[in-house]
Amino acid sequence: MTYTTTGAEPELWYRDLISCLQATFGTLLAREGADPLAVLGAGWRFLHIPGDVRSEEFYYPCPDGDADLGAALAPHHGLHSRWWQPADEDDLWAEIRERLAADRLVIAAVDNFHLPFRPAYGDVHAAHLVVVYGLDEVRGLVYVSDAMPPAFSGAVPIEAFLRSWGSANPTDVQDAFFSDSRIGRRCLDVWLDAPPAPLTPELLAGCIRADSEIFADAGLAGFDAFAADLVGRCRAGDAGALRELYPFGWGMQAQASLHGELLRRCGREWGDPALAGAGRAVESVAHAWTGLRITGAHGLGDAEAASADIAHHATVLRGRYGEAVDAVTSWRGL
Amino acid sequence: MSFLLEPVDISGHLNNTGISAATDTKSGAFNVWGNSFAAEYLPGGGDLVHVAGVPFRFPPVGDGPDNIRCAGQFLTVPEGRYDWVHVLAAAERRCEDVVETHYADGSVDAEPLRVSDFWAAPAWFGEVKAFESLVMHYPHHVQRGVSAVMWAQRVPVTRRADLTGLRLPRNAAVHLFAVTLQRVTLQRTEAGA
Repeated sequence: MTYTTTGAEPELWYRDLISCLQATFGTLLAREGADPLAVLGAGWRFLHIPGDVRSEEFYYPCPDGDADLGAALAPHHGLHSRWWQPADEDDLWAEIRERLAADRLVIAAVDNFHLPFRPAYGDVHAAHLVVVYGLDEVRGLVYVSDAMPPAFSGAVPIEAFLRSWGSANPTDVQDAFFSDSRIGRRCLDVWLDAPPAPLTPELLAGCIRADSEIFADAGLAGFDAFAADLVGRCRAGDAGALRELYPFGWGMQAQASLHGELLRRCGREWGDPALAGAGRAVESVAHAWTGLRITGAHGLGDAEAASADIAHHATVLRGRYGEAVDAVTSWRGL
Repeated sequence: MSFLLEPVDISGHLNNTGISAATDTKSGAFNVWGNSFAAEYLPGGGDLVHVAGVPFRFPPVGDGPDNIRCAGQFLTVPEGRYDWVHVLAAAERRCEDVVETHYADGSVDAEPLRVSDFWAAPAWFGEVKAFESLVMHYPHHVQRGVSAVMWAQRVPVTRRADLTGLRLPRNAAVHLFAVTLQRVTLQRTEAGA
């Protein structure tokens, strides 16, 4: 029997600074009729949880210990998610069949090494997310959607998908940031409590006010603690600090880029140049994350030697955070 | 209005190989994963190329380093008045930093340098797409469906003083392949005299 979600293939939702995490959630939100940028870009926070970072492209810090990635990604929209794994080793597809039959998309964790459409195929192990929208057990095919370049929608042999979905994702020297993390046939269910209300200046102001309070209470201090720890570990020659920086920073960078883009878009649509300018300031945070993350990536072989440049980029990034928080809180006197 | 356009010799600062041939993809490593531009989609090494009317001296290709990975280098330029610094650039992810413009009178300004991602990305900062490699080189294969983009971007020279040099960002994500200086001279007309 074949199970496929109804309608067109899932939308490939993508921005150049996001990871497969935001891309897959965006795809599911679009299918629910929601505007992915409005949902995923409404919130903006800084959270680093020491010892929590995993070497996965889709790592994102969750206040509740990874139980609800959706709430962490979109804290103002009743977005939720839950990880699950197949309950029956003898029938790995039972849950996916059930969800597809109910016309629901599934996000699945995979190892790029085993997926023929990924550039890393047969070359590099890396933890990644794709959207599953069909299953044809007669022909031996799984239908997956992946917005990350090279964007792909289509069929993958079941055997290849199973290898990818069940991969140990072993340590790979070619990708120190996203290997060495067991895939374990993890999947995500994602849902919204209710269809999002159209975004208005009042609603957006409420989101910004809530996030600004968190930034004032803990966000900027949290960044300072994170940066001090990062620089200190680099000076001590701890390459682990840089191995964690790349996946951790991706989540923070993606969030800032989406929030900034949303504010800029709303500023233009609502004729509010102060809001548009605040959005641009938040985007500058995302752009400053590039310097820190890429410096860390290149410095992995000698963390101590990279420590001065890491300290420089952490200082630049802290400045961008301060300016952006000031810009968004200045909007409407928030 | 008249223009002076002067390519800058940056050969002494090239420190990264970001372009490779399909037969030797491992020779390039633009980013930490060893990806590189495909030479067959780009101009020949040393060619004088024009992008949006701006001439650039394309770097050597297949003959060692072809770009500057920025690390705070100081580029000495022919001393003179200029209005724009044009660059052929690409970034390992979307990036913005500053270039210091240094002047003969001792003054120094910081001007923005904004470069979009080289990895199948849009011109986020309004750059001109100068060249696009329609495939991405990986150390062990040529990847279709992922392009590599080189951007033509510009940096303003706002001070009305003689420029002597440029201090590049201390930012490993930013790569420069060519630099050209431009001076714009406004000629007085009868009406405006």
